[in-house]
Amino acid sequence: MLPDETVIKHILADAGQSDADIQETALGLVCTLAPSVVASALAAFKESELDFATLVDLMGTDTGEEIELSYHLRSFTRDEEIHIKCRVAYDSEISSVWNTYPSALMPERETAELFGLTLSGHPNPKRLLTTDGVEPLLRKSSVIRTLQEVRDR
Amino acid sequence: MTDARDIATEAGMLAPEGTHHPGLPPAGIRRAPEGVDGLTTEHLIINMGPQHPSTHGVLRMIVEMDGEEIVSAEASIGYLHRGIEKLAEHRQYNALGTLMDRGDYVSGIHGELASALAVEKLMEIAIPAKADYLRVLLSEINRIASHLVWFGTFGLDTGAMGQFLYAMRDRENLVDILEGITGARMMFNYVRPGGVLADLPAGMAAKILEFCSGFDKYIEEHHDLLGGNEIFQHRVKGIGAIDRDTALAFGLSGANLRGSGVAFDVRRERPYAAYGEMEFDVPVGSTGDSWDRYMVRMEEMRQSNRMIRQCLEGMPEGDFTAKVPRVLRPPEGEVYAAVESSRGETGIHLVSQGGDTPYRFHYKAPSLYALQALEEILPGHLLADVVMIIGSTDIMLGEIDR
Amino acid sequence: MAIDRFTGEHSIAFIRVEQLFDLARRNSLWYMAFGIACCAIEGLMSASGPRFDFDRMGVFFRASPRQADVMIVAGTVNKKMAETVKTLYDQMPEPKWVVAMGACACTGGPFREYPNVVLGVDQIVPVDVYIPGCPPRPESVQYGFMQLQDKIKKQTEDRLAARRDSH
Repeated sequence: MLPDETVIKHILADAGQSDADIQETALGLVCTLAPSVVASALAAFKESELDFATLVDLMGTDTGEEIELSYHLRSFTRDEEIHIKCRVAYDSEISSVWNTYPSALMPERETAELFGLTLSGHPNPKRLLTTDGVEPLLRKSSVIRTLQEVRDR
Repeated sequence: MTDARDIATEAGMLAPEGTHHPGLPPAGIRRAPEGVDGLTTEHLIINMGPQHPSTHGVLRMIVEMDGEEIVSAEASIGYLHRGIEKLAEHRQYNALGTLMDRGDYVSGIHGELASALAVEKLMEIAIPAKADYLRVLLSEINRIASHLVWFGTFGLDTGAMGQFLYAMRDRENLVDILEGITGARMMFNYVRPGGVLADLPAGMAAKILEFCSGFDKYIEEHHDLLGGNEIFQHRVKGIGAIDRDTALAFGLSGANLRGSGVAFDVRRERPYAAYGEMEFDVPVGSTGDSWDRYMVRMEEMRQSNRMIRQCLEGMPEGDFTAKVPRVLRPPEGEVYAAVESSRGETGIHLVSQGGDTPYRFHYKAPSLYALQALEEILPGHLLADVVMIIGSTDIMLGEIDR
Repeated sequence: MAIDRFTGEHSIAFIRVEQLFDLARRNSLWYMAFGIACCAIEGLMSASGPRFDFDRMGVFFRASPRQADVMIVAGTVNKKMAETVKTLYDQMPEPKWVVAMGACACTGGPFREYPNVVLGVDQIVPVDVYIPGCPPRPESVQYGFMQLQDKIKKQTEDRLAARRDSH
């Protein structure tokens, strides 16, 4: 289920990140990259012999200092999975990976909207879930309603 | 069963494949004639939804039409965005099931199970064997109930009505069983971190078995009623085909992926609960059209029925829940737990930083990925097929918008 | 009134036109199929299914707001949906009624804390009947409809009584 670490390192070196941080955690194999190389690394993973054909999931997390993006790749031929992570600053621009994985189209829009990021290279970088003017709701700085506010509706 | 196309060919309605008259589109690939002399056509934008009786919720499709043919389609969602992920950050771990129930509301048990598995993985709780069996039992009962809703509404989408009434009849019987075990018709909150809420009540096993033996017959009736209908076959065969590469690229899962020929079932590839001990077949389609997805789901119902019997036969003795503290405080960590829900791989990506609420709770919804694929496969089809193709992918807006 | 119970033949009934309309309205409450969330499965699908069968009460679903008398708001209304709910309500012909089904449509329900959720559909359209529950059982929805019938009947009676008093 876990791919070979040396092969991963080899692929990443070709994609321009030779000193990637690869860890085996409860999540699986987690590989932390610089945001600038994520798009090329994902393309390299898809084309590699590991055959990561599918982006299963894409999510963001507000760590309190920056936004952590997490890409979950799966290879159906080899039955292996890997998680790619990168950290970007608040309100920064992330480059879309839809050319490599079309399944990122909507999750990217959702993540960008709910964490207040902008998308570059996306064919349809509109808001997905909320209307204009709604703050990035999944950031830790966004607070939910209190019970009193609900009562005073 | 005779292929509908053979009969139609005899009647002279459709030319056999490969022998079509030059200039006419081959049967199966319905394309509008290109460049009719002296006529220019204007593209028309048609808005379907968010209030539309056939969009399975509050989906809004914006389709650009060239005559009857779709040029492009865009799904507009968010009409049911109610912050399951955000609210989960403010809920204790025990209460996550309440939110997950309302995510994919037709198959609540799977959502609960996914969140419970994630918490258990994080805390490394060992589950009693009986709880595992009860989880599988309830999952499969819920899968049939959910597929019956799909079956009924898919028929409605293609213009049939009768099968809806029969499907709802069977579903009510299943809902009675679910209510007898969990106490609720839809929002069960039955699967908890550590086990399940309650044991089977007295006499329930016999009631379930009675349903199973009846369902063996009913499922064939259902299939004859809808799948045996030639009009239905004409509407679904060859329409909405998703090939293997597209399915993988768009991250489809569940019956949509298996309909396209990829035999990936989370229950088999990453066994959870007691699925490792169950015997079941994973049906796989070949062309990935709506008919294949239909056949895969129908077969899944038969397999679920088979698993329900196995669960009741092999039900171990013992506790139905492990000893867990009242307030769960998992250690720091990050896990991903997936289950095979009625719609595909429902995953929970849980980040904990200690404390009694999750730091980040991400709900990987299979329907979202199926919906994106729709934007890719709809162009080239006719407007009348839109509703049918949406129905064939069995999307659930509650989990798309979250 | 001496109406033959079974055939109604050779019978004449004297009734105010207002009451006749009222009778017709009460017994043909066509609702708009507008399932937003979970409640739609219980309130619209199970309700029109064979076991609960609301058709026998004259409660039947219409796909278009132009043909509907009642709007069942079955589910959470969020800020993106609110505009649509209002538009659909405006499109329905008078007289019209609104049933808020489930905790979400009544007050925001389990999602009330999320800033994107509207705290009850009564902030957008006037609501006649509130049906609590998450989700309410089809029986509750049936009871809600009976309450609505009573309300319609009472409105007519009150109107008639007021006119009688003013003479």
